[in-house]
Amino acid sequence: MDEDGQLTLSLHVNGRTHRVKARAHHTLLEVLRTQLKLFGVREGCGVGMCGACTVLLDGKPVSSCLLLAPLAQEKDILTIEGLQGASGELHPVQQAYIDHTGFQCSYCTPGFILSTVALLSEHPDATEDQAREYLTGNLCRCGSYVKILESVMDARDRLRRP
Amino acid sequence: MTRPAQYSGMLDATDRVTGRVDYTINHELPGMLHARLLRATTPHARITRIDASRARDLPGVALVLTGEDLKNRRDVTPYHGPVFRDQPVLAIDKVRYVGDPVAAVLAEDPDVAAQALELIDVEYEHLPAVFDPLEALRDSAPRVHDSPPPLGATFSDLVIHTGPSSNICNQFQLRKGDVERGFAEADFVFEDTFRSPAVQHVPLETHACLAQAEGGRVTVWSTTQTPHPVRAQLAEMFRLPISAVRVIVPNLGGGYGGKSYTKLEPLTAILAYLARRPVRLHLRRDEEFVTITKHAVIIIMKTGIKADGRIVARKSTCYFNTGAYADIGPRLIKNGGYATGGPHAIPNVWVDSYAVYTNLPPAGAFRGYGVSQAAWAYETQLDMIAARMHTDPYDLRMRNLLVDGDTVMTGEVIHDCHFRELLSRAAQAIGWDADEQPQRVGNTVRAKGLSCIIKSTVTPSTSTASVKLNEDGSVNVLTSSVEMGQGVKTALAVIAAEKLDIPIDQVHVSEVDTDVTPYDQQTTSSRSTHSMGNALMHAMDDVREQLLRLAAEEFEVFSEDVVLKGGRASVIGSPSRSAAYSELISRARRGNLLGHGTFSTAGGLDPETGQGIGSVHWHQGAGAAEVEVDLDTGRVQVLRYHGAVYAGRVLNPVQAELQTEGSIAFGLGQALFEEMVYDGGQLLNANLGDYMLASFKDLPEIGVSAVEHLEANEIHGIGETSLPPVMPAIGNAVYRATGVRIQELPITPEKVLRGLRELRDG
Repeated sequence: MDEDGQLTLSLHVNGRTHRVKARAHHTLLEVLRTQLKLFGVREGCGVGMCGACTVLLDGKPVSSCLLLAPLAQEKDILTIEGLQGASGELHPVQQAYIDHTGFQCSYCTPGFILSTVALLSEHPDATEDQAREYLTGNLCRCGSYVKILESVMDARDRLRRP
Repeated sequence: MTRPAQYSGMLDATDRVTGRVDYTINHELPGMLHARLLRATTPHARITRIDASRARDLPGVALVLTGEDLKNRRDVTPYHGPVFRDQPVLAIDKVRYVGDPVAAVLAEDPDVAAQALELIDVEYEHLPAVFDPLEALRDSAPRVHDSPPPLGATFSDLVIHTGPSSNICNQFQLRKGDVERGFAEADFVFEDTFRSPAVQHVPLETHACLAQAEGGRVTVWSTTQTPHPVRAQLAEMFRLPISAVRVIVPNLGGGYGGKSYTKLEPLTAILAYLARRPVRLHLRRDEEFVTITKHAVIIIMKTGIKADGRIVARKSTCYFNTGAYADIGPRLIKNGGYATGGPHAIPNVWVDSYAVYTNLPPAGAFRGYGVSQAAWAYETQLDMIAARMHTDPYDLRMRNLLVDGDTVMTGEVIHDCHFRELLSRAAQAIGWDADEQPQRVGNTVRAKGLSCIIKSTVTPSTSTASVKLNEDGSVNVLTSSVEMGQGVKTALAVIAAEKLDIPIDQVHVSEVDTDVTPYDQQTTSSRSTHSMGNALMHAMDDVREQLLRLAAEEFEVFSEDVVLKGGRASVIGSPSRSAAYSELISRARRGNLLGHGTFSTAGGLDPETGQGIGSVHWHQGAGAAEVEVDLDTGRVQVLRYHGAVYAGRVLNPVQAELQTEGSIAFGLGQALFEEMVYDGGQLLNANLGDYMLASFKDLPEIGVSAVEHLEANEIHGIGETSLPPVMPAIGNAVYRATGVRIQELPITPEKVLRGLRELRDG
């Protein structure tokens, strides 16, 4: 720890290792936004209820507003910025959200898409009911739920195809 | 006729799914300071002492500001507000609600700013506080404002009625026909009281502002739906010409009315000015809750009806709780007041509507703009009347709904009426049958409910747009309409592309930057696709005229003989004489063609009678709900909901569905669980753990009908129209299922259970 109370952390984000400075109480959300400028990670409620700050930690969705940054070391962190392929091609889940316009103001969209990726990795044959249950922790105040569900079901079908 | 142009979805969809949408909170400037606010912990008190010396001495703190530092300055005015200049940027002498900002701290390190807040000591002399509008109207009630607040340059059609020393912030009255004669003619007269609580907009992106004040200019990047009103107010506060103030608005992460008029901009700009550094202020969620709310209201509604079901008179008295500062309350109570007339042809209507100051967070614009509260009253009451008269609520509505040639409550003759079609579509979609009995399955019971509403759009209003037809034939649209997820940029691109018959990807719609983009009154009131759309059509027609003239000169024909199609100007009947727009521009050495358009509506209401032009056209919507009530727990689950809305012409079918589905989800929360809960003025649920939003689990099966009438050649905004029907449709379904009539939102399990017990106990 330096005299300013800062720790030097090593974070594995979107396939690369970053050395960042953070105080012990800083959340992963704060570090991703303020230091790595990953603006797809967004604070909504600050208490883990809305899902706007969702990232995947070793493939599991977590609220980055609740996770202290030092505790995210040694984990693989995926944000929306890391979801596209090496040459920029969209992930099938992203393409499904575009094709069904599963968004309005889009502030919640990265969180929804990452939760959808996790859902379909855990449950490749997810039913509508499973999807609703799994995505209950992501809130869309614009109320785009109908089109989000269509996006999720279409993404499932795309990913299932050989 | 051929279907006019449409586009489905959003033009910048890729940015939206890759996290690259530009929001205000992404912006930063070199040397930027972070602001944090100390807020009042008591609802009403005199500030007897503020000691900020320890905070000022904390290393890393750049500035600590209190109201005391501002009240005698001559270079800036520390008060703002769209109607009354009654809201200080930081409390001066007095705090008026729990959450009122008292001091601001600036530091480079946000942690230091947070630490400094705890080093500020404030001493209060507590004053009696008032929270209920009816109590606030008593002579003995404490005064929220000691003297009537100064009126700013306000809306031209707004007349202020305030008492010299009372908590009445403003009053609106409407007198149509002779209401007492109407009641005398009526066979039945019913009087009922309805209440709606304060709720919060909860945009997932909270308010944020980044400000810079240097070189005689003030620039803000802000989360606002009203860039030009904000610009004008900052100019007034800093005594600058409007041209010296620049408002830039990136995409909004939701607005729903809550980002209308000045919010953080005045304080952030003053902080930047005094610190001589750029300043960013970004609210935490608990601060967002106390920044602006929907108006809580008590509506006493008396309706006279003939035995044949014709409503002949209605008298409404509305007490809107406008909180500690006026914001847009003085205007909202007008719309909410006359809205109580409903979509019914009632010859005699009397409305008294009050905005009342209390010691609660300020209430202002909220999706629905008073109409949700009014519709909760009149659509619930109409159902109660149907039950009392043993008649079918669908037939009773059909009997009274406005048709072409009727006069609305403001006395205008209405045309292009679609209420009956909308109600019929909604009812049919859920299989409404008046004879259907509630379905009892185990300990649950299912039934259906209906509603139908009318809503105005802000009138008079003005939008302007500019376009540049570039040297390659592509188009830049310069507009101050704010994109907040409603898809306004895509809608405007459809219009521009259609006018020149070019591919939509050749059109770029600007970001809002008041240095560049021309005047627009506001992105509110479901008005942009209509008002800005019309301004843009005029601007495009301006460019079309110029193209036609250039082509006529080029080909030595009359401009009437030229057609613009597929990006080319061609002589009719002589296809070989044709030039691309780009060729015409370069041959004429014009650089680009500039087009400008203005769309302005006229209207306004007489201040004594509330009669006149309330709306340039009237928004029309209906809803039908099927609910399941758990008789053991009182919990209501909405199973199916159908929203029907009149759209005139749909430019973007997917976006039209999204706006309607979104309104339904928004209304679902307000119907069943959203409520700001206070104890002694202290908000108890200022977080998303305790304040519930509709999630996937609450979502019913949703259907949407966006009704078009292409012959009328008019676009109706649909951003709000489907919201007000939701709450009464659900309440009416709960009544049919259980016999329990809820008159105060939200319809919580506790209220349902209490109602069931009362029915059981007789």
